[in-house]
Amino acid sequence: MSSSLLIDRLVEALRCLPGVGPKSAQRMAFHVLERDREGARRLAEMLLLAVEKVGHCTLCRTLSETELCKVCSSEHRNRALLCVVETPADVEAIEQAASYSGLYFVLMGRLSPLDGIGANEIGLDALGDRLDKGEVKEVILATNSTVEGEATAHYIAEIARSCGVKTTRIAQGVPLGGELEYVDGGTLAHALVGRREL
Amino acid sequence: MTKRVSLQPCYVLHRRSYRDTSALLDVWSAEFGRVGLVARGVRRPRSRLQGLIQPFQPLLLSWSGRGELYTLAKAEACGSVFRLDGDLVFSGFYINELMIRLVHREDPHPGLYSVYENTLRALAVLSSTAYAGAQSREPSIMALDGLAFAEQRALRLFEKRLLEHIGYGLMLDRDAEKGAPVEKDRNYGYILDRGPVTQHGVALQPGVSVISGRSLLSLAREELNTEESLRDAKHLMRIALDTHLGGKPLQSRRLLITFKKQSRRFIGGDVGHH
Repeated sequence: MSSSLLIDRLVEALRCLPGVGPKSAQRMAFHVLERDREGARRLAEMLLLAVEKVGHCTLCRTLSETELCKVCSSEHRNRALLCVVETPADVEAIEQAASYSGLYFVLMGRLSPLDGIGANEIGLDALGDRLDKGEVKEVILATNSTVEGEATAHYIAEIARSCGVKTTRIAQGVPLGGELEYVDGGTLAHALVGRREL
Repeated sequence: MTKRVSLQPCYVLHRRSYRDTSALLDVWSAEFGRVGLVARGVRRPRSRLQGLIQPFQPLLLSWSGRGELYTLAKAEACGSVFRLDGDLVFSGFYINELMIRLVHREDPHPGLYSVYENTLRALAVLSSTAYAGAQSREPSIMALDGLAFAEQRALRLFEKRLLEHIGYGLMLDRDAEKGAPVEKDRNYGYILDRGPVTQHGVALQPGVSVISGRSLLSLAREELNTEESLRDAKHLMRIALDTHLGGKPLQSRRLLITFKKQSRRFIGGDVGHH
């Protein structure tokens, strides 16, 4: 504990950040107070502003400060393609990695009955309504490759089928540059099942 | 007292993220019953356990520690994962939720381990028959009917055996009042904490359901090969489970119901089994 109550409280507050324990929180607190008060002020202002202004895109549910996010409001995207992902971080990952031109739908989670997360908690009712409208021609399921991610994918596939929309699942298998010897059994099994003709 | 367990056959019933890179596991083990484990670092991008520490994967786990939460030390696969494709994964969630809700932590039930494992195996076999072929993820309607029946049967048998192992087994083959064997051509009133009775008028009392002797015996012998016996068993098991679940509904059941509604919309109101 330091001599100042305010510093203690700052350290405590910083610990809400991921990966920040007591030690690093203290280092951050001392750093901004000793060396970078201007940066701290900027950070505080930005935090306040972002927390107040950033909500969810009404179309894809990702984090956005406008009613429609950048992707959803863009005129250059293919509106017939819809990629379903679990988190906004997944959107960023796909945006940076792939030349994907369609839209997204962000579940903000996955089906997990044992945690009390059902279909409505991840917006599947809204997704169903959207698919019903007929604009989307293909749904790409890019949920995680976990048991819960697969269950979510299956559930959404069923919704899409009831709306007559084509559904695809992203491929799973050997990572790029990966050596078979070191790939785990489950992944290898998936890779074999999902093989394709050359 | 530090406890050390080495290479214990286990299944992960549930996994929840914990801190940045760790996970809290609810594990079902052969010798020690349900235990809580912390799997440190399992969510690191390069963790080799990432894909392994999943439900329905037969595992050998080693852990140590004291108190209520142990630390996972080592994990290896012992056999390949039971693949539950399509709807079957919801049944997998269901049996996991029942285990978590009904089996106390660190209360060993040696016989129940194989019951759990055999149920998973039965579901996985259904999964591989229904979703046979690499590309097809859509079973035919014919297969769907048989599949739903076999799936329901596996779940009912699991429920029955689970209740038996945790000490709430149902009396099924004897009249609870007279001690006489249940007769297949009679109807019985079923009083939960006692068993089947033939007493006149008992069926009209609240909390008593009517069930045929035929269905009672079918469940007692673990046959359940007619639609009727399966339906009656489901009804009886539902009431029995609900009393032990303390009024809090099963989330996986809720999920399955919304899912079935969704599929029914597609097939056009023609799914009669659930």
